[in-house]
Order: sequence, then structure tokens, then C-alpha cells
Amino acid sequence: MDDLYLILATLAFLGGFILAMTSWRREGDRPHGLNIPLAIAGLIFQTLFLRERGELHGRCPITNGAEILVFVSWSIVIMYLVLGRAFRLSLLGVFTMPIIFLFQVFAITYLAVADPGARPPAQLDPWLELHAAMSLLAYGAFGLAGIAGVMYLVQDRQLKSHKPGRLFYSLPPIRYLSTALVRLLAIGTVLLSIGILAAFLMKVQPLPAHLLISGAVWLAYAALLVLHTWKHLPPKQLSLSAIGAFAFALATLSAL
Amino acid sequence: MSIFCLGVNHKTAPVEIRERLAISEHTVPTHLGEVCRLEEIDEAVILSTCNRVEIYGGANNPQFAIERLAAYLESHFAVGPGEVEFYRHSGAAAACHLFEVASGLDSMVLGETEIFGQVKKAYAIAQAAGTTARRMNKLFQQSFSVGKLVRSNSSIQQGSTSVGSAAVDLAEKIFGNLGGCRVMIIGAGEMSRTTAQSLLSRGARSIIVSNRSYDKAVELAAELKGEAVRFDDWETRLDHVDIIISSTAAPHTVVHAPMIRRVMEHRRGHSLFLIDIAVPRDIEEEVNEIDNVYLYNIDQLQQIACEGKTRREKQIAVCRDLIAAFLREKGIEALAGAAQERPGKDPGGNRSDSPGRPLPQP
Repeated sequence: MDDLYLILATLAFLGGFILAMTSWRREGDRPHGLNIPLAIAGLIFQTLFLRERGELHGRCPITNGAEILVFVSWSIVIMYLVLGRAFRLSLLGVFTMPIIFLFQVFAITYLAVADPGARPPAQLDPWLELHAAMSLLAYGAFGLAGIAGVMYLVQDRQLKSHKPGRLFYSLPPIRYLSTALVRLLAIGTVLLSIGILAAFLMKVQPLPAHLLISGAVWLAYAALLVLHTWKHLPPKQLSLSAIGAFAFALATLSAL
Repeated sequence: MSIFCLGVNHKTAPVEIRERLAISEHTVPTHLGEVCRLEEIDEAVILSTCNRVEIYGGANNPQFAIERLAAYLESHFAVGPGEVEFYRHSGAAAACHLFEVASGLDSMVLGETEIFGQVKKAYAIAQAAGTTARRMNKLFQQSFSVGKLVRSNSSIQQGSTSVGSAAVDLAEKIFGNLGGCRVMIIGAGEMSRTTAQSLLSRGARSIIVSNRSYDKAVELAAELKGEAVRFDDWETRLDHVDIIISSTAAPHTVVHAPMIRRVMEHRRGHSLFLIDIAVPRDIEEEVNEIDNVYLYNIDQLQQIACEGKTRREKQIAVCRDLIAAFLREKGIEALAGAAQERPGKDPGGNRSDSPGRPLPQP
């Protein structure tokens, strides 16, 4: 049943992406009306998948690469739905859906090829659950910050080139994008800090390598925030750094 | 019982005629009363703007009512017979015309939104004057629905159509809400004034004006409720502005890249938008290469305005399809066909009603 939920979620995100692309190609200045409902449908199916997997393992379902990818993409969608709209980050479909869709496809492929099955914990530890959940939610915020960074660079490029294209009218103002980017980085850093603090309270201390990697990710994002706040890192550099930092964070997931 | 429309607009009558026919807001109720006292006319709404004077009405015999109304306008506004050729629509064509007017398809600036408010106001005045009943109420309510439908499902409002609006649209794509933006004008020319006014109309906060002739700077600053600065001092104020409009008559550049680099060091990552509408140009091209600085010259702004117009013209067909779909939904099949295949379309898709052409049958 969990496979079905995963496939349904993937189809919902694919549908949202196709709708967003078609309405964008038609030069519409608004996202398609079904875009958000499809994102919500995808989120519901992801939640059902994660619940099934959670019941299978008897703990937070982040026991393998597929589950981690679904959890991260679930976090990105929830971050967008909760925060993105408040930050006027439009174009969910065009910029966010492809990433979510890719994560979902990787997850489906992973489970089809090598589903490791149930991995119940020897002992349930709420601090471990909190550590994992907060860390992955932080990755969701970082993912959305990376997407905001891409949107900023696209809009900056269009403004600099003096040739506003189709996306120009649909993308938010660059000031809103840079503000959203900073706030998402800050939210992600706070969530990751909680996750790391929870790790120190776990019954079984994590491996030093695990802590080292989490610390490196936290340090990278904290450094970005410090550079932005005290050194006034220009938004373009901040956007590039946010994209690079998310790529680094994703790469570390496999090591975790 | 049917509806009709009679009027002139910017396409069919020059401003000399339109200003003679113009009906000021406070006299509209009086004219509405007089129109409704004309034989055959039961209901009336007057839409009088700078680009059009139109009277919509309800009558048992629309063609007869239209002739009566034309005679009334000619006698009341000292217009000689034949001097003005009113366009005349009845039944379905009158409704279609109003729908296009409310959607901004018949406006001088295609897709502009002000007309929607003006149609609403015209209807409200007629309602208050007691000259609307079932037909006008239904017609105007439907026109509001169509106006909203068209604007929310097409890109007819998208894209700038003038240098001023291009500058404002770009400023909004950089800063978002212009509420907190400070503007500096270097060179008090007409284009600077127009562009600054456009920015102020969208909420820009304060204006600093600098000009070689200080008196002219003071004059423009007073007009724009801003502050005049001597030409030798404008550089010292650069740190505190977000948008710079430059249009001096200097034969060389007056704003240089090193100057802007210095300014950007103090702006803590805030963007700077420079509009160079001078020929020869006032601002060094290299300025655009600085991070977070956006420079546009007059040609680039004109190009954006030109593309914006083309973009809107392309949307006319989309809008007409939407109107036709609305009419089909309301069960007016014949009218839906008429909306999609309007007679007398010019190559850009704008309707150019030939004044006095045979009336479509209701």
C-alpha cells in the first residue's frame, strides 16, 4: 500500500509541474488553479506513505535513502505551503515541483530495487525521533531557500539583461526573494540547531562522523547568516551560496 | 424590450468632439433624468470618461430610441447634425460592447484597469438616480463578472505600455512595494517629471530634485512635493536613494561606475535602480555590471513598452474567447459567436466600429 501512496504522490507532483509549465507557456501571470490542490494532494499521499512506513518500522520513517528523500521533499512542500505563500514565492510548480518529482522518482526506484524492509529499533528513543524530524524539516527549509536562490538568480539575470522574458512577470520582486531566502535560511538553521541539540540527549549517542557531518551543515548555514547579517553578503552571492549549501547538505544525507 | 448603446470614443471622435460631449459627474443624474424622459427610453446609464461618452439604455424599440438619443445629444451639446458619427449598438452587440469596455479591450491603453472602476461608478450613479431597472441591472452586473473573468484569466494587464509604466514595473520587480522607496531626479526635464510622477502614484516615498538651474529644481520639487538640491550636492545624497532618474542635457556622462560602487558599499545589500532617459546618456554603461544595480536607458525602456503592447494585443483573442465562453454559459449562443468574430477588427485585434454602420438585430 505504501508503494501506491508514493506513486500517487509522484503523479500529483508531476501533474502540478505539467500544469504550471503549460500555464506559464501560455504566458499566464497566475499559477494554474489546480496547482496548489495538486501539491496538497501530493503532500497527503506522502504523509500516508510516511505513516505506513512509520508503522512498518515502529519509528520515524527515515531508515533508508528512499524514506529520507520522501521526508525531505515532504518538508519542502510543507515549508512552501506554510511559509512560501506568506513570502510571496510564486511559481511553486515551475521551480519546486521538478525537484520534488525527482526526489519521488529516486525514492520509487530505490524501493523497487532494494527495499530493505522493516527496521524496528532496538529501543524507541523520543530524542532520536525529534533529532531526525527536526533535521529533515530543516532540510526542507534549506531546500526551499535553494529554490528561492534559483528564482533570485533568474530574476536578477532578466533584470540585468534588459530583456524581460516570460518568467519576469511571474516571478516575485527580487527584494521579496532575498528576504524570503534569508528567513528560510534562518528557520532552517534554528530547526537544525534543535535537531543537533536533541542528538546530544539521545540514549545512544550518534557516531562521531554523524555529528561531524550535521555540524558541518549547521556551520555552513550559520556562516551564511553571519556573513549576511554582519558582512552584508550581496543577495546574488547569498543565493549562489544557498544553492551550493543545499547541494552539500543533500550530499551529506547519503553519509548520514 | 431590448438594450442599446450610443456613443463616441477615442477611436471614433477626436478630443475636440469628446470634450464637447463630455458629461461631468455632477451633471450625470440630470442628464440621466432627461434621457429617461425621452420617448421610448425606460432605463439609462451614462459612461463619460476622458476617452469615451456612451449612453446605455433599455427601450422597446431600440432603433427609434437611438435616433431620439442622438438628436438629444446633438441639441444639448451644440453638435451640428452629422458633425459627430455615433456608434450605435443594440441588443447583443450593445452587451458585447459593454463587456469589452469593462474588460479594457476598448481602452486607449489596452487592458487598463481604470475603466472597470469607471463603469462601476457610472452604474452606481444611475442606480442612485433611479434610472436603472431589470435590463440595466442585469447587463451591468454581467459586465462586472466579465471584467473580472477576463482580467483573472488572461494576461491583458501584463506588460508595460509606456516608458513611464515600464520604469514603474521594473521598479516594482526590484523593490516590490514602492512604499518605502526614495527617488532622485538629476535634471528636471519633462520625461523625468512624468516618470517620477508614475513612481509617486505607485507609492514612492520622497523625491529629491537636482538640476543645473536651481530654480527649475525648486519648481519641480514643489510640484512633486519633494526637496530641491543644488547640482553640486546631488552626489552627497546618493546613499539615501533607491531610484535615480537622470535626464540632464550634459554632453558627457555624469554618473560613473566608481561613484556607484562607493554608494553600494553603504547600502547593505539593498538594490539600486537607475533610469537614464538622457540623450546623450548620463550614466556609464559599466554601472549595470555592479552587483545589485540595475541600469536602464531610454531605448531599453521603449523596447520593453513596445513588447508590452504587442504582448497585450496578442491577448485580445484570449479575452474575446473568454467573453464568448461567458455568453455561451449564459445561454446566448448567437452573441458568443459575435464576440469571437467581431466585425471591423483592425490588424491588432482592436475593434473599430464604423460609426453609423447598420445596427445588429437584437
